[in-house]
Amino acid sequence: MTSLSLSLGPPALVRLHDALICLSKFSETVAIEAEPDILRLSALNSTKTGFASFAFEKEVFFEAYSFKSSKDGRSGSVSLDRFFCQIYIKALLSIFRGRIDKNKDTAVERCDMELHEDLQQTECRLTVKMICGLGVIKSYKLTYEPASIQHAVFDKSKATSMWTADPRFLKQLIEHFSLSAEQLDMYSDSGRAVFTSFTTKITEGKEVLKHPVHTSVAADKRDFQEYWVEENMHVAINLKDFKAVVAHAETANATVTARYTRPCKPLQLEYQFEGINAEFTVMTRGQADSEDGPTSTRATIPRQTPAPVPISAVRPRDTRPSVTPSTQMPPPPPRSRSIRPLTGSSTQENLSQKASADRPVASGLSMEFDSLFVPADDDRQWDEMNEEEEPQDILGWDASGTQDAFGASIRNAEPAFSEQNGSHAEEPDYEMGLPPTQRLSQVRQYGLFD
Amino acid sequence: MRFRTQLRDSRTFSKLTASLSSLGKVCWMRLEYEVIRFTIIPDQGTQVWASIPVGTIFDDTTYELESNSDAINIEVNISVLNRALRSAWGSTHTQLRLTKKDKTPLLALTVLSSEWTEGNMALATNNDADGFGDDRNPEAAPADTTGDRGPRERQTWITQEIPIKILHESAVEGLHEPHCPDPEVHIILPNLAQLKSISDRFTKLASTDSKSKQPGVMAPDAPGMHSVSFSGAGASTAATALSTNSSPKLELSANMHGSLRLAIATDELRIASVWSDLVNPPLDPAQMSQEQMSQLPSELNRKREASEGFESGWAKVRIDGKDWSRVLSIGRLSPKVVACFVNEMALVLYVYLPGNGEGEESCLTYYINSFTT
Repeated sequence: MTSLSLSLGPPALVRLHDALICLSKFSETVAIEAEPDILRLSALNSTKTGFASFAFEKEVFFEAYSFKSSKDGRSGSVSLDRFFCQIYIKALLSIFRGRIDKNKDTAVERCDMELHEDLQQTECRLTVKMICGLGVIKSYKLTYEPASIQHAVFDKSKATSMWTADPRFLKQLIEHFSLSAEQLDMYSDSGRAVFTSFTTKITEGKEVLKHPVHTSVAADKRDFQEYWVEENMHVAINLKDFKAVVAHAETANATVTARYTRPCKPLQLEYQFEGINAEFTVMTRGQADSEDGPTSTRATIPRQTPAPVPISAVRPRDTRPSVTPSTQMPPPPPRSRSIRPLTGSSTQENLSQKASADRPVASGLSMEFDSLFVPADDDRQWDEMNEEEEPQDILGWDASGTQDAFGASIRNAEPAFSEQNGSHAEEPDYEMGLPPTQRLSQVRQYGLFD
Repeated sequence: MRFRTQLRDSRTFSKLTASLSSLGKVCWMRLEYEVIRFTIIPDQGTQVWASIPVGTIFDDTTYELESNSDAINIEVNISVLNRALRSAWGSTHTQLRLTKKDKTPLLALTVLSSEWTEGNMALATNNDADGFGDDRNPEAAPADTTGDRGPRERQTWITQEIPIKILHESAVEGLHEPHCPDPEVHIILPNLAQLKSISDRFTKLASTDSKSKQPGVMAPDAPGMHSVSFSGAGASTAATALSTNSSPKLELSANMHGSLRLAIATDELRIASVWSDLVNPPLDPAQMSQEQMSQLPSELNRKREASEGFESGWAKVRIDGKDWSRVLSIGRLSPKVVACFVNEMALVLYVYLPGNGEGEESCLTYYINSFTT
């Protein structure tokens, strides 16, 4: 029988949530690996060109951690001291989402997770218990499936190039790239580190205007904390992966280290913080060395790249399939979307929410004009309004008929609808629904209510 | 063919391109010696013809233009240009030039972005240990010392290469601004932020209930629901035709006595906002004689006595709510807007950007068709 049990404090819970968000940008499932001293969450993308892994240390990260295993584990554990399984990331994320509000009485105080696998049991589940304030306990049982877990292997000692940089600095570099850019090429040129975004999309000759923009950003080497990179060696990685890493490193405020050797060999981005070791191993492309064999002069994805060393199964890393998806425009990364509302009207929504928070008792008059007040420097209010992407304005009214109540109910109704996914327990007006305005007998004549 | 210039005001340029890009993607940009013209003619919806003096966005002293036809016509994806210009925000040194790469013509934007950085103190200590400056106060360290990690100016070069299409002069010869009859009313629009906010709200209200509405459920003569209803002449007859269209149509009307009315009507609701005491600007006497001017429909309307009734002398257009919202995005440049109403036919907006008060003004002209009922 294998058993794993662990406890997380609120800060660790936030970190775990952030890590899952980051992993979800690589794959739909997260692989969970338990060892006596370490819990590792990892994700390998579908083209097997990007591998993300977070290792949480027993002593630092967890409030309590215990792992016991036996030989008869059925979830692919081949050695004594390991347990593997995989879980759908969205299922895990939905548990942790929105549970970290410190101001609420029922904020999460501790999170306990348990997993017992026994061949005698027909049902094995991962149990998550959220111990909240006021004695509230929320329990979740998740199904998991056995997995053969692959690790990308990267030999740090053989890396010939490396740099270390602040995530906020890297983010500033990324912000210049167009949202549709797919690849990121990096090289060093006479004292400058050059990052270029490009897209390998094949475009029709006539549609010149649809050609992708090439953006290159040349930063001073001194902006890096360390920079030891071979001159003029171009190495390209998937920009989306890079963005995911930088976005997470920024939340952790951890300095990112990149190590690599040559084009078409893996590159590793790594950082450590608060007992977490984050490693991202991604495949690079570029003009490989002559001994590596590709004859084409343009950037190619060679087949003979070092395969990851899987723990239980050997699967050659073949990056060729990545060409097919890359001909399509990738969706803009979710993160940037959440930072910047696309529509002017969603700005309004925020404003009206704020207004109602500032002034709980809104008079009927202020309701009329609230949305007209817009901050002077907010450029987004001028964007085209887009009603598809946000809740509609809802005209509501209160049965009591007093002027004040009328105004207040509309004020409350808007935020309530805009956060339909969250809790709307605080909006009793919304729960009330709309009172009928006509008697049924009055409308019988239309033949609808017979 | 040669074009190269420094940007004088990348923020204005960026806001301008942002507003233009809401109307259409493909923009015809015509570079001339004195002005830059931006024209967007979408398949449907409003077209815009903008004429911006070189000095408004570019630096006159570095502006270089060489062409056999005294102008360069290019076609550019304006939203891509806008996105690229975002890199230039806050930069002091930005260059835009025409270039070529693999036979593809490009607009290359080169930005030197400088910002103050606090440096990294941990590594500064390391440097000290290496003997780079033992007891030197990092704050006082000269900014350009190699290996210095203290506070200093961080400089980053950014290059954005935007693919474009060069248009031959013959390809643009046939393009002209639309001709319109003399307007019945011309009036300076109120604050665009307010106008846009109200227009968007009206449009949304109208589209909400056209979506939720089941045909036949409502009584044919649904009473005006509440709050701000008005009974404008013809508004009730218009309602049925309006609701059959996919997107709500706003009714915009104005007179020569400083009033502007924005209204929307569907089966379920009729709302209007009225502005009064707006300005009907006088016409430029340099353009035509007093005689001609007094015969213009707008001047005739101006002379009508207010005693003829408030409803007299109005000119009305019906415009698409979403399209109008896109047009009003020009408000981010806080311009002065003169709206010219050609009754039931078109609305022409002359948008004047705030300038330095000398030389030619920046003017954008929007041509908006009126929908028929």
